[in-house]
Amino acid sequence: MAGVAALALAALVPAASSASPSSGCPAAWKSGWQALANRIQAPVYCPTWMPNPLDAKIGGDYIDINSVAKDRSYLISFLEHGDLGSGDVHVNFRGYPGRTAIPTCTTVVLTGKKPIRGKTACFADAAGTRTDRGIRATVYRVNQDADQWHILLAWRHKGSLYTVSQHVIQPYTYRQVVKNLDRLLAGLVLVRPEG
Amino acid sequence: MRLTRRRFLGGAAAAALGGAGIYELVDKLTPAPARPVAGPVPPEQHVFHQGSVQSEGVEVVVPPLHSEVVTAILTVDDLHAAQHDLEQTLGELDAAYSPDPSGLGVTVAWGLPYFLHRVPAQAKTHVPFDRRANKPVLVPERRFPSDPDATILEHNDVAVLLRSDSLDHIEAARKALFEDLHIFHMTSIRRGFAGGGFSGKRSLPKKMAIAAGIPGADLIPDTSELFLGFTSTQKAGLGPGLIANHETLGFVDVRSGYFHGGTHMHLSHISEDLEAWYLNFDFDERVLTAFRPGLTKVKQGAQTVRQGPRDISTQAELARQFKQTGRFGHSASIQPASRLLQDVVGPDGTVYRKGTSIPQRADFNTLDNPFAFSANPARDKLSDEPVAGVHFVVFNPSGDDFERNRLAMDGVMPDGTKLEVGPRSRAQGFNSVLTTTHRQNFLVPPRRHRSFPLAEL
Repeated sequence: MAGVAALALAALVPAASSASPSSGCPAAWKSGWQALANRIQAPVYCPTWMPNPLDAKIGGDYIDINSVAKDRSYLISFLEHGDLGSGDVHVNFRGYPGRTAIPTCTTVVLTGKKPIRGKTACFADAAGTRTDRGIRATVYRVNQDADQWHILLAWRHKGSLYTVSQHVIQPYTYRQVVKNLDRLLAGLVLVRPEG
Repeated sequence: MRLTRRRFLGGAAAAALGGAGIYELVDKLTPAPARPVAGPVPPEQHVFHQGSVQSEGVEVVVPPLHSEVVTAILTVDDLHAAQHDLEQTLGELDAAYSPDPSGLGVTVAWGLPYFLHRVPAQAKTHVPFDRRANKPVLVPERRFPSDPDATILEHNDVAVLLRSDSLDHIEAARKALFEDLHIFHMTSIRRGFAGGGFSGKRSLPKKMAIAAGIPGADLIPDTSELFLGFTSTQKAGLGPGLIANHETLGFVDVRSGYFHGGTHMHLSHISEDLEAWYLNFDFDERVLTAFRPGLTKVKQGAQTVRQGPRDISTQAELARQFKQTGRFGHSASIQPASRLLQDVVGPDGTVYRKGTSIPQRADFNTLDNPFAFSANPARDKLSDEPVAGVHFVVFNPSGDDFERNRLAMDGVMPDGTKLEVGPRSRAQGFNSVLTTTHRQNFLVPPRRHRSFPLAEL
């Protein structure tokens, strides 16, 4: 059923959310990504394609989280929440300027008395690599926080760590999410800070 | 090979009429493994010689490729005639097939309704009594703390477990018992498979899950014996020889001896959320969840994790790990209840060493949702949409012994100590991705009394 829903969604929503990677960050999306690069004073990766029905306009209809931390790391999240049964489509972009180590996340185990806190890698269960457009990304299958239940690609560029992930949930199966991430990876363009 | 939705639905429709549907793929996807030459037919129905191989340095039993359980209620009142007819058919199956997976294993188990309604007086006298629990070995079905309220407690008269590497053998047996003989009304057919990956090739569960389009199928390790990624049939984790017989460990009074050589069987269906398992638990967490916290020397990607007598957890260790980490492993929580606490000498002189496993499992993966066929599809919530699951079949000396194991899985120890975690908490890992849909207990008579036990008295 999930696959059928995804196909139906794809048929109904024209490919307005894609552009050729050679043309750079799509014009409708560029200002937001440029502003992000300027804000963190580091390059960011702008997608040129997004899974239906999302676009990647920061400040647009699908933006869910637009967060920059004190250390300049960012999380940009796009979400279509299918209240009518069409399912969720959820894609996250992260960047960690000036650091390449996999970040650490907090875990909380709820027990009968008091919660026990621990630490774990935010991205784990590496399952091979994907290479496209000069990016060699590692596939992570078990991820934390906003990337929980997502498949995530992580790669390093000039001393910084970047990720893109998508939630495995209807209407997209695991296999479709992997394909989507391949297509996202193939369409990433670097946006450098101005000024 | 990817099964199209149309083909799967065709298979499901065929299944209701007796065909094997999607499970016919098993024979196309995996050749039958080599099997040792079978010995004579054992007096016990549940004892089934399967052979073993080495997997990652650990001896593992190679399960039959196909398993099937058919449940039924009786349609006859003349038990003497039915007993004669059933025994004749079973005898013909014994003569036709060797008693190992290359032939056929047939285990006929009887539910509490049979004993209560068909042979109540004889049952009062002859059904073995669990002295440790102070109750009969066959106890009413119950839900456990991690079971949802929707878990259906079944009341079948009989269940027949069929095991073979050949689907044809299983189909022939089911036809002989449930179509040619007119003494049973089938209430369900439950089908499945296991293994096929010990040679280093892609295993059956992975192939079948992919063929059926199960969510998370791609995440199953290629050679995994079962959907959840770990080898379940290592020899040290299964009760040896006759240990699951009522009489072997001494806590069951077999009374008249009628059921000497018999055992208790629990049957349940459990659905498994593979995406939740593989996308939320990394390998290290899957290990500590399946086995125990602190098990840190397991090679990444390992599937067979040694669980010999020296590797098991005591209740004290379990409690200490729980205090430190707030969680407990599946195997570690069960072991204080499922392993011998001291050496035991069986009535035949066999010595069972401390740490030996008691339960003899015969569980197998399935794509049934929840069954391949149900006579009551609305009650059983029967669906054509395949789901990952397991038909859990286990033999214990008594129903109480099974309950001790199952309660321990939920953190309730045999002495009453409770490891306080929520019923489906991530802290007890496995349970958070499992949902039990059906349960029933059965008594498995020895082979000599497998047909309508006690009816002749």
